[in-house]
Amino acid sequence: MQPETLRHLRGAKDLLEEAIEAAAVSIGDAQMQMTRQPYRLLAQIQPIAAPVRAIEEAHLRITDGVYYSIRLGNRLFGMVAGYALDRIEGVARRQ
Amino acid sequence: MSDATKKPAAAPGLATTLASIVNGCFGDYLSQRDNGLAIDMAFYVHNCALSLTPDALCEAVPEPTGKLCVLVHGLCCHEGAWDYPGKPARSYGSALHDDLGYTPFFLRYNTGLPIPYNGAALDALLEKLLAVYPLPVEEVILIGHSMGGLVLRGACHFGAERGAAWVSKVSRVFYIGTPHEGAALEQLGHLVNSVLHAVPNPITHLLGDVASQRSQGIKDLRHGTVLDGAAGIAAVPWLAGAQHYMIAGTVTDDPGHLAARLFGDGLVQPPQAGENVRLFPGIAHMELAHSEDVYDQIRTWCASA
Repeated sequence: MQPETLRHLRGAKDLLEEAIEAAAVSIGDAQMQMTRQPYRLLAQIQPIAAPVRAIEEAHLRITDGVYYSIRLGNRLFGMVAGYALDRIEGVARRQ
Repeated sequence: MSDATKKPAAAPGLATTLASIVNGCFGDYLSQRDNGLAIDMAFYVHNCALSLTPDALCEAVPEPTGKLCVLVHGLCCHEGAWDYPGKPARSYGSALHDDLGYTPFFLRYNTGLPIPYNGAALDALLEKLLAVYPLPVEEVILIGHSMGGLVLRGACHFGAERGAAWVSKVSRVFYIGTPHEGAALEQLGHLVNSVLHAVPNPITHLLGDVASQRSQGIKDLRHGTVLDGAAGIAAVPWLAGAQHYMIAGTVTDDPGHLAARLFGDGLVQPPQAGENVRLFPGIAHMELAHSEDVYDQIRTWCASA
């Protein structure tokens, strides 16, 4: 494989990884904000305020967990792809 | 980077096209992150960067002439934008070589970088080219498509400001579909972006943030910015001593049609009518870079005294 092609592949991998990371953070923040809105209204009703806050907390934690796992998976993919590209580059150099 | 002559003739492929599009959209970010997709400005021959050394230049240009023609593509493009569809060996550069003896040099650059940055980089590159060129250079003509025209204006300005030798050789500058007064599409994009940020909603804010990630090169097209810190292009004088020609198109055959008046060539509004302005009705923005009618006009202007 040509060094130029490998450089492009590595660049594309980095860009994709950074884009997924940024998208997961931004979308996660937006979803958190939207998730809080109905709970904020419901929490104003005193009799149900306490359970609403508990459900909100659980909801936010689950949402956070989902986005965290996406980011974690993305980093793992990046590491594996980076390792694969290193190996390919090593083979190409030996040839 | 490899020399042009070390590989057989090849046109830029899909990977190069995709890389050019990504550079146009996020080129400043790629450059900042030292990403492998970022394009370094260079003259390209057969899809390879040309090393500006006397030996490499002699190999890449076996029959140089004293008349140079520099072609600068537009946003998200590469030098393949000049190739005629179905006739990849023919372009304004090759045709000017065959008809009038100009030696063409096709620039490829990161179109997402700020236009003033690319202008300054082209100024330095042209100085280097003329320093290693195997013959005394009698004349240089510059042809810029779309954003390329603004990059040329910037290069001429920076070169003239520091008294660069190459600037005195420039006889003609052709601006093809160049948004000297700003591109309506980016002005609309800026407006939409502002509205998205103004609406108090997380989704519209998110969409606004995504749209804000577009490159500085695209943002500079809003006013046709050529200089850092300049509010518009009005601050940049036209290069003295050179003839300036403007070529524009319209989306419809009738230039008076509402669509032509609203959308110009699809991306850029035509300039005011004038002596060195030529309008090509029915030729859209991208087509302006490889049209036989446009070439005939360029050749006529080049052949005139």
